[in-house]
Amino acid sequence: MIVGHRKALDEIAGMIIDHKKILIVGCGGCTSICLAGGQREVDGLDADLRAHFEEGGGHVDTDVFTIERQCNADFFADLDEMIPLYDAVLSMACGAGVQFVAERHPSVPVFPTLNTDFVGVDRDVGWYEENCRTCGDCVLGDTAGICPVTRCAKGLFNGPCGGTRAEGTCEVDPEVPCAWFEIHKRLKTQGRLSMITKVRPAREWVNQTRRTVIQEPYKERYTK
Amino acid sequence: MSVHSDKAVDTKQIKKALAKHKNKMKAYLSHCMHCSLCAESCFLFMAHDKDPRYMPSFKVINSVGSLYRKRGNVDRTTLEKIKKIVWKSCVLCTRCYCPVGVDVPDMIAFARGICRSQGVCPEFDETGAMESWL
Repeated sequence: MIVGHRKALDEIAGMIIDHKKILIVGCGGCTSICLAGGQREVDGLDADLRAHFEEGGGHVDTDVFTIERQCNADFFADLDEMIPLYDAVLSMACGAGVQFVAERHPSVPVFPTLNTDFVGVDRDVGWYEENCRTCGDCVLGDTAGICPVTRCAKGLFNGPCGGTRAEGTCEVDPEVPCAWFEIHKRLKTQGRLSMITKVRPAREWVNQTRRTVIQEPYKERYTK
Repeated sequence: MSVHSDKAVDTKQIKKALAKHKNKMKAYLSHCMHCSLCAESCFLFMAHDKDPRYMPSFKVINSVGSLYRKRGNVDRTTLEKIKKIVWKSCVLCTRCYCPVGVDVPDMIAFARGICRSQGVCPEFDETGAMESWL
């Protein structure tokens, strides 16, 4: 799940200061679940912005609307009709959703209200932890389900680095468990400790440029 | 639990939304032959021992269909029942298929939109307690 958190109110207010009529758009997907950009958060931002501008002796004209997903064109029918009526849009989706809205409505400024943080898991209500950095070259099968990109401070693919502290924590940050120590422990539990000596070649950091995925059964449809 | 559980349902707003998509929705609702071919396209139906309440046709008929049958004259209790169907029984994975072309995800999304317009939507904090599979 994509996790984000709302930007500071001052920053959001600053984005729309030159625009009169604002549409705040929520997303019923990931940002609803992480309590960042769902319908309730949309109402909350609406109230916060009104109070913020009134405190400054001003006024903001806002409307709210939430669609199921801002990353899928199937859910845009009603929103597409609404956006041209506004001067600017405040999107409460992740970065993908913000860009999708902006792409569909290039003549209307679309501002992000969230900082998109990571792909992660729900630990509990309101508590989310990064687990995946979408590196595009998953080695979790070799590392007993512990990601060296997100969990190792140095992102080592052939670890440990030799700096692991005696208590099994990272030399960079003693509060953080050494990922490769954890990988070693779990591989041992699984009877797969031989994986620890597998040498992985230097990787291509494919997540540095924009990527596209077309699933195999659809390749013929979309490629010429 | 609704975001606005103390507000009266704005049936005029619901009727306006229903009227806007009337032709499409009427067509979809009349096209459904109850053939049940959509059922096995739904992973929730398959995962719940083929419980017919998870059939896409059931979900559509008891959400959008219910709104149309009542001509939008619904109360919050009805919307809460519809909420359970369109959020708890469906994740909008959009994988369902229909041999006569009923766009089931479109219908579910429409029902969700009507619920949202009245502040009826799932909560994801402590108050929500599994109101949605998402």
